[in-house]
Amino acid sequence: MRIETLLFKEIIILPELFLGISLVYLVLHSTFLAVRKNYPLIQTSILYLGVLVLFLSCLLVLNDGLDVLEQSVLNDTIVNDYVSFFSKLVIGSLSLFCLLMIQPYLINQKINQFEYILLILFAVLGLFLLCSSNDLLTAYLAIELQSLAFYVLASFKRNSTYSVDAGIKYFILGAFSSSLFLFGSSLLYGVTGTINFEEFKDLYVNVSPGNNADLSNISLVQFGLVFILISLLFKLAIAPFHTWAPDVYEGSPSASTFFFAVVPKLAIFVLLLRIFYYSFFGFFESWRYFIVIVIVLSIIVGSFGGIEQRKLKSLLVYSSISHMGYALIAFSAGTFESIQMLFCYLVVYSFSGLCVWSIFVLTRLKNNHLQKQNKDLTDLVSLGKSNYMLAIFFTTVLFSVAGFPPMIGFLVKISVFLTAIESSMFFVVLISILCSVIGTFYYIRLIKILYFEKVLVGKLYYPIQAQSSILISFLFFSFLFLFINPTLLYLFSYKLNLLVFTTV
Amino acid sequence: MLYIKNILSCILVLPLIGAFILSFIPSSSRSLLRSVALNCSCLTFVLSLFLWVFFNKSVGTFQFTENFFWIPILNLNFSIGVDGISLFFILLTTLLIPICLLASWDSIQVDLKKYLIAFLVMEFFLIGVFCSLDLLFFYIFFESVLIPMFLIIGIWGSRERKIRAAYFFFLYTLLGSVLMLLSILYIYYQVGTTDYEVLLTFSFSPLEQKIMWFAFFASFATKVPMVPVHLWLPEAHVEAPTAGSVILAGVLLKLGTYGFIRFSFPLFPEACFYFAPFVYAMSVVGIVYTSFTAIRQSDFKRIIAYTSVAHMNLVMVGLFSFNMIGLEGAILQSLSHGFVASALFLIIGVVYDRHHTRMVKYYGGLVHTMPIYVFIFLFFTMSNIGLPGTGSFVGEFLILTGSFKANTTVTFLSATGMIIGGCYSLWLFNRIAYGNLKTQYFKHYLDINKREFLIFFPLLLGTLVMGVYPNIFLNSIHFSTNVLVESMYF
Repeated sequence: MRIETLLFKEIIILPELFLGISLVYLVLHSTFLAVRKNYPLIQTSILYLGVLVLFLSCLLVLNDGLDVLEQSVLNDTIVNDYVSFFSKLVIGSLSLFCLLMIQPYLINQKINQFEYILLILFAVLGLFLLCSSNDLLTAYLAIELQSLAFYVLASFKRNSTYSVDAGIKYFILGAFSSSLFLFGSSLLYGVTGTINFEEFKDLYVNVSPGNNADLSNISLVQFGLVFILISLLFKLAIAPFHTWAPDVYEGSPSASTFFFAVVPKLAIFVLLLRIFYYSFFGFFESWRYFIVIVIVLSIIVGSFGGIEQRKLKSLLVYSSISHMGYALIAFSAGTFESIQMLFCYLVVYSFSGLCVWSIFVLTRLKNNHLQKQNKDLTDLVSLGKSNYMLAIFFTTVLFSVAGFPPMIGFLVKISVFLTAIESSMFFVVLISILCSVIGTFYYIRLIKILYFEKVLVGKLYYPIQAQSSILISFLFFSFLFLFINPTLLYLFSYKLNLLVFTTV
Repeated sequence: MLYIKNILSCILVLPLIGAFILSFIPSSSRSLLRSVALNCSCLTFVLSLFLWVFFNKSVGTFQFTENFFWIPILNLNFSIGVDGISLFFILLTTLLIPICLLASWDSIQVDLKKYLIAFLVMEFFLIGVFCSLDLLFFYIFFESVLIPMFLIIGIWGSRERKIRAAYFFFLYTLLGSVLMLLSILYIYYQVGTTDYEVLLTFSFSPLEQKIMWFAFFASFATKVPMVPVHLWLPEAHVEAPTAGSVILAGVLLKLGTYGFIRFSFPLFPEACFYFAPFVYAMSVVGIVYTSFTAIRQSDFKRIIAYTSVAHMNLVMVGLFSFNMIGLEGAILQSLSHGFVASALFLIIGVVYDRHHTRMVKYYGGLVHTMPIYVFIFLFFTMSNIGLPGTGSFVGEFLILTGSFKANTTVTFLSATGMIIGGCYSLWLFNRIAYGNLKTQYFKHYLDINKREFLIFFPLLLGTLVMGVYPNIFLNSIHFSTNVLVESMYF
């Protein structure tokens, strides 16, 4: 599979370089073209150019990663290993799907400026760098790159107060959490004199809070770690730090919400793994209890908070809060299998999120004078009648998201619970499994709306473009296939956690 | 018998193939859709009859076993097989599905295609429950049954209350079974596999057994249903279409008892003995309470639903007597209840199709206009009471004999349920069949037609055969039950 002709495989940050250079080119291209040509034309061309660039960077990622050699460059600030390879591939393909799905939405909402696509590409660049960052400063810069892109994406619809409001909220709280990250990093730097993950690992390979004499330094390290953890949980919208999420997700344009609900979670989990497993595994016991509390809180908030939601977007936010809780269960179990299951869970979560959000973005009501996106749950009421295959697909995905048996979501969910049982977290599993029943309630309410309600006033939808329906059916069949043959998923993730754990 | 080796997997996937074919037929050609679905389910039934014919009655082990790899890394594989216990549940399922399709031949007007697909997919899941020899796959199929049933109640139910009923059905069952899922995960963690035959060789500590028995109990008791969690059943029965009620009473309730027999008994024998008084108490309360409740209902379907609860609780008494007679009686009573309750729901369906009401007070004196219907109704009322010569008599007799050995008080109290059963059944029959014709409500009456007679005929015959010569069922059940009882005591 390796493309020998490219000869660039020595430069391991080739995908990022390519993406960055193409971005600069695209900015110039669209700026100079914009003064002369028609605006929508540029948008379309930029969209397809962006898709092409993303596709090529995914190919470059593939070209690198099959070596599976751990290499680091730029004074050990960037590392390329199987984890970064895999997560870049997933993030790249998710953004590719995302870009293709949101195009009709952008045109309909009249936010089809070329900047939108460029911002998404910038965010993808940030996420790529985040996946392969090997020190705290690079990680910070990567987080900032993607977050800044997200702030602008959130407030992109300038004539809507909600959107601007969401952007400001996201910016203030995001900047606050980034400052927490910086503060934690400075504490770590103050104690150790280094910011490199590799060196952290060498320093603390045999140190854990219980067995060391030099207690003052250890507690400072713990202090710094807690700050970093909180900042990253902020980005993931885990329960006590989730309050920004419903407002921001609800207010920003659906295409942006789609993007930052689905894509960045995996990259942030990669960073969490690098810091808390790769560098500071000795401190495992000290942050584990903190995380367990956070898990229980976020699963409860996610399950109960979603019940009373009347808007589809808010419901999906709460769903994602509880799902991040489930993913954190695997993160906190701390065994070999748990990291494997964490990756499985995140991949399946991202793909089911992709399906749900793409259906949400693609269904547009006719006779909608305000040109609004369908927002209420009841707007889906005639989908079961008017586009039956889409409704079936939506049902399948919802059952999978709810973790209901003959779907892949069930399998990864029980894998997560299994790892938790293996590390004796019975109480957490009991609570989360009971909350998952409550969570199921709001998914089956959606199914009820799709099928059971009698429609008095029919609402019609615009037809879906051919390319979107092809993509959607592809996703549907991959969903079915993953349950019939889940070995593929487990093989991939097995290789991943080999890398996380060989160095511990 | 090489040619018969894969018959079980054929039975399993045939409904799925049928559903696949149905999805390519345009929904406007209704007769083609119906005939394809019916032929497919009938073929499945014929194949499962072959399963019975080729079943080796002289051993109690699993037969027709097949293994498929699923996730070899995690040691999770899909294995299927039947023994004497699951054989008849599969037969019951494959018999009832064509009957259900025939019963809804004309009454389903909207979305016929989806309805047929839902039924065939449900048949696949139900056969999967009964033949899977893997705990995790048992759970997967057990839960998957909820999806088509949820849709059947929700989409083709009769009134606006159907949504509430569908929620009740879904959430009650789900809440019970996630606890079972938790203990399945624990078992997998302890044993390293969920393969049934490996699990049989493993013994858990008494504390683990008690906790996990309770988790399994939460799931199965909701399905049976035992008394505090029986509330979903009357709701679901009343709101479901006729065929949905039939499959609900005929097969879905048996999932609970089947789960007890298959998993709770051999895996947690000590806990079973430990909790037996608890189950006795709940079952006896269930029998007496639901029998009394059935008397005062005004809805035809609700009465039958409550009698189902009473009869299934009687089955529970038989199961927890832990001897051969009681267990065989319980299995036989499950089967005969599958015939009788289904037939009673079909009987309701016949008059509901004609008059669109289920309230008992609108009916009366049907014997004057619908004699064949009343004959069938009488027959199944009598078998619901447990008249000698019907399958229910044999089942109830064996259950009471078995539980007499274990606990005489419980036998006495459960026997009162039969007397009250006589009350509500005969009174219901009296109100519907005799008296004056209530012409102020309905002007036109029509006796059952040929299609409806064909629906009732196999059920009638089966009940009669089961009552007159139960040995053709019992000699297949016998050895498997023997293995089960031995594994519990030793």
